[in-house]
Amino acid sequence: MHDVLLASAANVSTGEAITFWILGPVSLAGAIGMVAARNAVHSALSLVATMMSLGLFYVVEQGPFLGLVQIIVYTGAIMILFLFVLMLIGRDSSDSLVETLRGQRVAALLAGLAFALLVALTLGRAFTGRPPKNLDGPNANNGNVDSIAHKLFSDYLFAFELTSALLIIAAVGAMVLAHIERDGPKPTQKALARERIRSGRPQPLPGPGVLSSGNAIGTPALLPDGTIAPESLMGGQSTINVGQGGLGEIER
Amino acid sequence: MSALTAVPANILAAGTNNGAFVTPSISYAAIAPILIVLAAACVGVLFEAVLPRGQRFYAQVALTLAALLAAFIDVIAIRGHSVVTASRAIAIDGTSLFLQGTILVLGALAVLLLAERGVEPGSAIVAQAAVVVGSPADRRLASSDRVQTEIFPLALFAVGGMLIFPAANNLLLMFVALEVLSLPLYLMAGLSRRRRLLSQEAAIKYFLLGAFASAFFLYGVALLYGYADSANLSDILRAQNTSTQSDTLLYLGFGLLIVGLLFKAGIAPFHSWTPDVYQGSPTPVTAFMASCTKIAAFGAILRVLYVGFSVSSWNWRPIIWTVAIASIAVGAVVGLTQTDVKRILAYSSIAHAGFILMAVLAQNAQGQMDVSGLSSSLFYLAAYGLTTIAAFGMVTLVRDGNGEATHLSQWSGLARRSPLFAVTFTFLLLAFAGIPLTSGFTGKFVVFRAAYHSAAPLVVIALIGSAIAAFFYLRIVVMMFFAEPAEDGPSVVIPSALSSIAITVGTGATLVLGVFPQPLLDLADHAAKLRG
Repeated sequence: MHDVLLASAANVSTGEAITFWILGPVSLAGAIGMVAARNAVHSALSLVATMMSLGLFYVVEQGPFLGLVQIIVYTGAIMILFLFVLMLIGRDSSDSLVETLRGQRVAALLAGLAFALLVALTLGRAFTGRPPKNLDGPNANNGNVDSIAHKLFSDYLFAFELTSALLIIAAVGAMVLAHIERDGPKPTQKALARERIRSGRPQPLPGPGVLSSGNAIGTPALLPDGTIAPESLMGGQSTINVGQGGLGEIER
Repeated sequence: MSALTAVPANILAAGTNNGAFVTPSISYAAIAPILIVLAAACVGVLFEAVLPRGQRFYAQVALTLAALLAAFIDVIAIRGHSVVTASRAIAIDGTSLFLQGTILVLGALAVLLLAERGVEPGSAIVAQAAVVVGSPADRRLASSDRVQTEIFPLALFAVGGMLIFPAANNLLLMFVALEVLSLPLYLMAGLSRRRRLLSQEAAIKYFLLGAFASAFFLYGVALLYGYADSANLSDILRAQNTSTQSDTLLYLGFGLLIVGLLFKAGIAPFHSWTPDVYQGSPTPVTAFMASCTKIAAFGAILRVLYVGFSVSSWNWRPIIWTVAIASIAVGAVVGLTQTDVKRILAYSSIAHAGFILMAVLAQNAQGQMDVSGLSSSLFYLAAYGLTTIAAFGMVTLVRDGNGEATHLSQWSGLARRSPLFAVTFTFLLLAFAGIPLTSGFTGKFVVFRAAYHSAAPLVVIALIGSAIAAFFYLRIVVMMFFAEPAEDGPSVVIPSALSSIAITVGTGATLVLGVFPQPLLDLADHAAKLRG
């Protein structure tokens, strides 16, 4: 669809065309890599590549503000936060790849390809022979940001205000899902120390990943004889399952 | 995507930086109900921060009910308003006020169910959502009377989004409203006190599929913007006569947009989340979703079709035909094989969504979209919502040691334990089936009558579908009245006044709208006006 566009558009500058042909494959490879990579960190880094390329596309397409926001906010802030989370919960705890419905993945792949083909062909057809337009008008007198602000506070004022409700919901939702209110008063240091001595194990529990193949929280610590140290696993059934997944890797 | 960014030449041309900035005028009177609900939601969040734990539950319930009541009174006070305000982003007209009033009433009834503490210590809502399922702390909290009271402000936010969704004249605002109503629902679906893993699974399924549907919606908005140079529905309508862009953008954009909306309304083939989410969510939340979300989503569908795409109705009629038939067929046929009462009601809601969707096919003699389709679907939505609240409210009352007993086999012989329950539930099921003297009959009658002239074969299919669906409703009735009661079967719990009010109002409305529907029919006729 893009080459149709570029061929039909006489007034696309050479620089724009070169940028497109370099960054286009990069962004596509990043997108495919994000889905295909088994390792979650590789997946996230592929997404970073795609987002950076998209940001540059926006800049080339006369949207410098959008392009920079894309790079600073999405790539810089959100993706890095995402990587933090991945590192924290363990890059080894990969998803189960067992198909619960047989043939589902192939069917999904075919349907996805068909959809992409449909969209690409119809859009390509819709734009064939149409000269690309530009943003010279709104961008005049360094007006890119001004024009966006103008739109944001006039036509899209209510939608813009309403996003504040979204932020409140997100904050409350994160609290609901992650915050546990304390029941009684906070135990004093003295009480904690007594408790620890009484427990029969005054020393700290082995950290996850100690003397084992990885350092993620999903990987259990190993004892000198190579068996798993059960204390290195957090309580709760779900975490122990993750640990057993890690065990499989160690044995292999 | 660079192709798309190249298309709308004057993305920002309308508001060039040279012109002086004109503050958009906002009719605060018209959007006051929305603002009341959203402000109360913010106050509810503050309550969480400042009130001691013991007082929160009843303070939140009182605040939520007061806000919904105040907003409802305000909706009545501004009846007859017809303005398009906030830079033509919101259209407050007869239809949106009718839908807003309906959503507020049903939302208040659902909050009454949420606040019910008589059948379960605490309520149907989890004590601490963050506690690991099955841990000692979880077992201890399950029998305490603590509740995750954040669910009440979240419900208010969802209602706020639902009030905006059917009134949004701008597709971008419609998208933000869609998210404002969806995000709290994703959370609320996962807050069940019993069977928490099932509830969390429902929440994650709803979230993932909902995010997917939102992406479709956004892509559609982008393509329509490329077509019309505007995200306003009235501009998109005008562009269909004037635009020089290829119609492909219009059709593709419309297709993707409608996928997002049909998903929210739970219409086949975009229904796959419905049974799992309805089953896993806490039952009061299911009641809220099945009534209010459905109404808001249909409100948006009606506005998009009537305001934005009325001139191209010949192009989208086949799509609506197909999904309506698919929805009726899936709801009726797959519903037959279900053994869980909540899942049966979920499939019933899919079939009903198909019935409601038929109404938009109504045409007048000139082949234009007819207003009878609008008014009949408004009536159907109100009637169906009231019946649904009562039905799910009653499902919460059948309990055994493990909480709600929703498996069909557990309901056998329930009439001997509690004849009143069995008779009332039978009445509600008859309303779902569309038997005369219930609101379900009136609703189906007006919708079928509106669609009959332009889509007679579809009406025949719908009649067959409702006959099949009647079979599985009657199966529950037969189970309750004629099967032997199980040895250690569940019992019917007597609820407190809160649930009783919700169930009584829902059941009473089902009866009144079946026997004496004319006032609401007149109101719906009167309200069936849209502004773009």
